Amino acid sequence: MWNMKFLLSFIFLFLASLSFTQTKVTLSGYITDSKDGEAMTDVKVYIPSLKLGALTNNYGFYSLTVVPGKYQVEFRSVTYGSEIKEIDLNQSQVVSVELGSKVTDVNEVVVNMKKTENVTSTKMGQIELQMDQVKTLPAFMGEVDIIKTIQLLPGVSSVSEGGQGFYVRGGGPDQNLVLLDEGVVYNAAHLFGFFSVFNADAVKSVNLIKGGMPANFGGRMSSVLEVNMNEGNMKRLKVTGGIGAISSRLTLEGPLKKDKGSFIVSGRRTYIDVLMKAAISNTSPFAGSSYFFYDFNAKLNYKLSAKDRIFLSGYYGKDVFNFADKKGGFGANMPWGNGIAALRWNHLFSDKLFMNLTTTYSDYMFKFGSQQDEFRFELASGIRDIGAKVDFSYFPNPIHRIKWGADYKYHTFTPTSVTAQNDTTVFDTGAAQKLYSHEMAAYVLDEFDINDQLRFNVGLRYSAFAHVGPFTRYIKGDGISTQDTTIQYNRGDLIKFYHGLEPRVSMRWLLPDNSSIKAGYAYNYQYVHLTSLSAVSLPTDIWFPTTDIAKPEKGWQGSVGYFRNFFNDKFESSVELYYKGMKNLIEFKEGALPGDNVSDNTDNLLVFGQGWAYGIEFYFKKAVGRYTGWVGYTWAKTERKFPDINEGNIYPAKYDRRHDLSLVGTYKLNDRWTFSASFIYATGNTLTLPSSWYVQEQNLLFNYGARNSTRMSPYHRLDLSATLYSKAYKTKTDPATGKEIEVKKRYRSNWSFSIYNVYNRMNPFFLYVDNDGDFLAGNFKLTVKQVSLFPIIPSATWNFEF
Amino acid sequence: MEFRILIPLFTLSILLLNLVSCTKEVQIDIPGYKDQMVIDGSIETGQPAIVFLSKTNNVYSETNFQAYLNGFISGATVVISDGTTTDTLTEICSDNLPPGTEEIAAAFFGIPVEQLANFHLCAYVSLGMIGQVGKTYSLKVIHNGSEYNATTQISQPTPLDSLFWKPEGAFTDRGFSWAKLSDPMANNDAYCWQVKYIGMPNFKKTFNPFFNDKFFNGKTFEFAYENPMSFDDPMLDPSYRGYFKSGDTIVVKLSKIGKAEYNFFEKKYNQIYSGGNPFSTPTNVPTNIQGGALGVWVGYAPWFDTLVCQ
Repeated sequence: MWNMKFLLSFIFLFLASLSFTQTKVTLSGYITDSKDGEAMTDVKVYIPSLKLGALTNNYGFYSLTVVPGKYQVEFRSVTYGSEIKEIDLNQSQVVSVELGSKVTDVNEVVVNMKKTENVTSTKMGQIELQMDQVKTLPAFMGEVDIIKTIQLLPGVSSVSEGGQGFYVRGGGPDQNLVLLDEGVVYNAAHLFGFFSVFNADAVKSVNLIKGGMPANFGGRMSSVLEVNMNEGNMKRLKVTGGIGAISSRLTLEGPLKKDKGSFIVSGRRTYIDVLMKAAISNTSPFAGSSYFFYDFNAKLNYKLSAKDRIFLSGYYGKDVFNFADKKGGFGANMPWGNGIAALRWNHLFSDKLFMNLTTTYSDYMFKFGSQQDEFRFELASGIRDIGAKVDFSYFPNPIHRIKWGADYKYHTFTPTSVTAQNDTTVFDTGAAQKLYSHEMAAYVLDEFDINDQLRFNVGLRYSAFAHVGPFTRYIKGDGISTQDTTIQYNRGDLIKFYHGLEPRVSMRWLLPDNSSIKAGYAYNYQYVHLTSLSAVSLPTDIWFPTTDIAKPEKGWQGSVGYFRNFFNDKFESSVELYYKGMKNLIEFKEGALPGDNVSDNTDNLLVFGQGWAYGIEFYFKKAVGRYTGWVGYTWAKTERKFPDINEGNIYPAKYDRRHDLSLVGTYKLNDRWTFSASFIYATGNTLTLPSSWYVQEQNLLFNYGARNSTRMSPYHRLDLSATLYSKAYKTKTDPATGKEIEVKKRYRSNWSFSIYNVYNRMNPFFLYVDNDGDFLAGNFKLTVKQVSLFPIIPSATWNFEF
Repeated sequence: MEFRILIPLFTLSILLLNLVSCTKEVQIDIPGYKDQMVIDGSIETGQPAIVFLSKTNNVYSETNFQAYLNGFISGATVVISDGTTTDTLTEICSDNLPPGTEEIAAAFFGIPVEQLANFHLCAYVSLGMIGQVGKTYSLKVIHNGSEYNATTQISQPTPLDSLFWKPEGAFTDRGFSWAKLSDPMANNDAYCWQVKYIGMPNFKKTFNPFFNDKFFNGKTFEFAYENPMSFDDPMLDPSYRGYFKSGDTIVVKLSKIGKAEYNFFEKKYNQIYSGGNPFSTPTNVPTNIQGGALGVWVGYAPWFDTLVCQ
């Protein structure tokens, strides 16, 4: 009863706070970059005299409703600092601003900007990467990589050496929602994970949410990695490119119609295959082996009217690996890749109501074909999504920022499809099994201020998932007393329906001394899962949906943090504590070998369990000045408990790491030279090794000990880089005055030198038990071997733009 | 013949890693060792049951031949029963073999005949009972106060339709041997494939000798198999390895086995081919023995056929 009263008074207060009786006016518009016309995200539009402000959204739109008056309005951005305009707001006005047209002291104003963001926002566990900084950090083989940069942040760790998969606060790699222009990326890796699918030249912004996920995101339990592509230069045609040791890239962008619409196309291809061809002679048994990947990004946008804008973005990337062993009569071909397309429409219903409608298409496929003499075999696996999403942002007054929306996806999964043939005999491998499902969600959230100190972001998300036919369910018998039975579902039949509410709350309490306390709680459902057979991440990992057997994963996370800036905001710091609980986690059964689709469903090979993770993260950052960088340290623990794994006993997750330290520093010597260094130290990953051996029919067999009970030695590595920029200005005689003046050059280039693993540490990639010698001769020996991947690797890349 | 789908992938990954990686020996703590009984027992149509008892060894313990021999357990009580008759197995040791059984024993232990007498290798043999088609056999092993139990069956063998040989590729006198098999309609038929030259005392398993009817249930089909003996001859030209020679006379043995037993062998061969590889899950070989022992108790229902390669 009390609860009901409380709820009613809360609703009343909420409605009352939305409808001020006093007349109000709205200042709204878009903020763009004067350099290229790109929309600018997270620019603060601030009225100091009222102490009120608003941030631009992903499309550069802002809306601020205030009492009428004449105001000094400040537009603050990380890139350009602060620009002040005097605006007479007697009636609602649309003020769109191009920032960066006048020279400002960047460093000075960034300080102000930082002051308001780190401490004052309700965002916790959220980090936005600055692409300019990412590009100066040491790069593996010269390939600038946003995912490797993310792995340097506290609470985020890499799957393995060079791996693209990342773990956020003890969650698995499939628990990260990776979005490229709102399209889901199912596999963000090239070359077995050593490179990211994101071409840094085509990326505008990267935002990682590792805790306190707002209600407009969902479907994954751990984090959101939002990657937005450049929109394309609105002002002029621009070419950017780079030539590196293993790949080259080229980007072309320009206006479709000046200040109305623009395009960008960006491509990248490796030439490892060309190098391999040179290295492997035609007479070699491995001739014909090759590897390459390429990717292609394209985006168009057009302002249809002052209130309407459309965006069309696409990504297509593929890896192709060929292997030939002529002597052994063995050949293999393995292509895999993603295709993503998104069409978006921004519409302003009023100066307070913004809408974005997105339709997306996502496709990921993996194929493996092999031939051993006359035996041919092909395996394919994939996932395809089509979806639509609508998001509304409503800015009724400066106290409330309300969002609501809905999301729908139709998934088609092909976990594995196999064909096999021996000479002319075609084996019965069954028809390819596909699984179909609908995933839906609706949400509402409000970020509101109780007073100057206390701000809340309260949201509720409802999600639902329907597994539908056609589908054949195989119920396995033991083959002795019970035989296999099947249930046949026809097209459209509802097999199983799941749904649930996902409450999300976060708050900020501003303290004196430029500090704040923030806390967050988020509950999430996850309906798609990645099942992995191996200790390392491979493209063979299978995406699998929730079915009648596999229940949705559920997780909740609670976190609390203290945020403080020092020395006039030159330094930012935070300490965050989190606890995460996870249910219905999925693993393959011990000894499961999925691979065909005969009289069985892949989920019959799965087992289900629970997990939890907790930890504390320290982050200390210097954001401005000649020296910039950060120190991140995480202490964490993450464990799993599955009734059918490890005899039901608790065991550490494979990426359970007690300590994770990263140091990142950049020093800008002058306009031409910038130096960077990064160092990481992490507790070794866990793995399962055999603890004993025995003999059966003269074969040596292993018996494995407790799951993940062995720990590899710690991982640490230092990388260095130096970037040499060409001169940015040239001298020219001013025809008007006859004086020599400095003019900004259109053509610019830089050399980027990197050294990966400077002190050549042989970090463990995996361990295995090897046997050597002859049993009868008495020199037979078992040893544990450690495989390390990358020694010291220097690289150089030449980048240009004009 | 069995689809070891991930094996080419494993091979590939290892080859690829070899191109870029570096390997060194490390000493690392591997917790979880426990001393366990290992039972390796079988019974087939017309043959006595043979049971070997040994125990597990720590990974870091010595793995030479002496250590293997020391692992054999003697003095256990081993009993089999077909439901009506019970037989307590007799312990027979390599240094005290009944005459005429030396060659068979040597092949079983994997050591030369002349060295047999130098070792004290023991097996338990059912002198009072031989395997019969259609019967279910239970096994009981008692040692140091612990009891281990298992059951297996000798089912109806599946006859082979025919055997033939054909030259391979450019060869005229070398090639694989082929067999034609009509699998019965019932599910979960599993087989073990073995071959020997006529006159050899023991059959030899091919590289992937165990397969089940998952892909060909109820179908008639032909398949090729390699010559496992050819890999034992160090003098043979390597390009001839795997092939039978025109003129060879061979005997093949197709033994039908049960589902749980097949599960043991399937996982065993998976482990042999992919063990220790990071691209596979660490998999223990599932036993059909109860009571905490490892190993298998298997009944074989063999079908024999002879082929002159020509």
